[in-house]
Amino acid sequence: MTRTLKNYIHGEWVDSSASETIPVYNPATCEVLAQCPDSNQDDVNDAVASAVEGFKEWRRTPILSRAQYMHHYKNLIEENFEEMAKIMVQENGKTMDEARGEIRRGIESIDFAMSVPVLMRNDGLEDISSGIDETTVRQPAGVFVAITPFNFPSMVPLWFLPTAITCGNSFILKPSPQTPLSTELLYEMLDEIDLPEGVVNLVNGGVPSVNALMTHPDVTGVSFVGSSHVAKIIYETCTAHGKRVQAQGGAKNYIAVMPDADMEASVKNVLGAAYGCAGQRCLAAAVAVGVGDAHDKLRDELLKQTQNLKVGYGLDETSQMGSVVSAESQKRIENMIQQAVDEGATLLLDGRGIKVDGYEDGSFVGPTILTDVTPDMMIAREEVFGPVLALIKADDFEETVDMINASHYGNAASIFTSSGRYAREFKYNVNAGNIGVNIGVAAPSASFPFGGQKDSFFGDLHGQGMDAIEFYTERKIVIERWI
Amino acid sequence: MSTLNQFGAILTYAIELEGNIASYYETVGDADRAKSATKRKSKLERIRRENVVEITLEPIDGLDEADYVFNFENTSDEGQSAIEATASQFYEDVAPKINVRQAQRGLERAGKEHRAYLS
Repeated sequence: MTRTLKNYIHGEWVDSSASETIPVYNPATCEVLAQCPDSNQDDVNDAVASAVEGFKEWRRTPILSRAQYMHHYKNLIEENFEEMAKIMVQENGKTMDEARGEIRRGIESIDFAMSVPVLMRNDGLEDISSGIDETTVRQPAGVFVAITPFNFPSMVPLWFLPTAITCGNSFILKPSPQTPLSTELLYEMLDEIDLPEGVVNLVNGGVPSVNALMTHPDVTGVSFVGSSHVAKIIYETCTAHGKRVQAQGGAKNYIAVMPDADMEASVKNVLGAAYGCAGQRCLAAAVAVGVGDAHDKLRDELLKQTQNLKVGYGLDETSQMGSVVSAESQKRIENMIQQAVDEGATLLLDGRGIKVDGYEDGSFVGPTILTDVTPDMMIAREEVFGPVLALIKADDFEETVDMINASHYGNAASIFTSSGRYAREFKYNVNAGNIGVNIGVAAPSASFPFGGQKDSFFGDLHGQGMDAIEFYTERKIVIERWI
Repeated sequence: MSTLNQFGAILTYAIELEGNIASYYETVGDADRAKSATKRKSKLERIRRENVVEITLEPIDGLDEADYVFNFENTSDEGQSAIEATASQFYEDVAPKINVRQAQRGLERAGKEHRAYLS
């Protein structure tokens, strides 16, 4: 019998009042790792009440003390780094390198949060009128919630939590029920740093807890990362309930490869972008556009390098690509590959039906390349969220840019070129929130906002960077006259 | 298929290697060299943790574990020299394959330390 996870409310690990649970699987071994409670309105009410209470003391805690907690937190994560990576591999399916890389990026967000004492400072003017001074102050805004996905179970919560609480807010995390063990460990370490009760809370579960959080009157703001369909619902529901919201959705990221690109080096990077995390990231390269003469060379080099990728269980250090997150995902991805073939695409490399020695029942999809893809096909338009790369031929740069801009998504786009002119025109004209030049995963570091346009983002202030400071604070203007 | 095919695999191999070298020198009775190997092991663990760059993780080819044979049973002077020479060669081969300069430097320094024992 596997254990049932607990929620973390008001500084204590507590049972959910819900009786329903969701099994947490190791997608490579099919082992059930734990049961995740499907928390309900009562659990959310408890978490929000705790966060409201916690906020009262926390906002009065000196900001340098708040930042100091983050120093302790970072140290604990460094100490537990390898254990975190292993847990993440077990519940998500990614490789050890990918898990380590994810934790590192999460730590970057903690580093960023340590700069909040500088970033929250504001400005003022003396004598805006005779004897009258005017200043702005930033204040924490209250109770914030983050609803986070399975694909980066440590990094995405850390995009939000450290900055939110260092700004003086209290926080509730609702992680994906597919990967709650990584967040459980994050919270065990939060428990160790002895924050005041109620500053950080954890509610496990699925739709019922999300609905309760989005509509709770005492929640100030919600951050979400997931599919575009759900992001839109989150955005509409939260705004209708008077909350600030940042909702990051899905993507269909294009990579343009120009004839002047260093093909071997470019493809090596494209591989990481397309098949890293088994294609399950919102910055994954999904469509490679070979421009002019580059198309055939790109196709051949892609096939050559992709065939050599080692698919395996993530805990094996030599696995270069792990499993997808679940059997359902595997089936969905395989169905999308078939649909692409039915629409006229050619399978240059078919990752369906791959068997990994020792893990024959695992949810593995091998790296897949589809050629003869046209922009109107489903595989060029809709997010697969799996290790599938569609190859399209474009006659020239202009056609490529038009193709990218026709997508209803706008998360990321990259160009591989040795031409400064193409690079500049690409940056200038492509409508995507994150642009890569000779880099396939255009992931902003913690001090920059995570971009996203069109159906890839709903809201105005993005996660990370100065946007996060704006999101997590309220500005107050003070006009003073002393007679 | 090579087991030295990506960042973590190479660093993990190096960490295990230094652990084995530390044990070897403990057996030999050379506490200084054992301590140095343990120190390198710690540094390499830190490098694996701090210098993994998620957005530029790329496959690495052209390395083969079979090229690095260590005989930890041979504790003679010649045996020690052979271990230092092979370790030095290992670091010389792997460092240029790593695409993060800070990690590369760490590997180069480890190789340099092993080379120093040969002179």
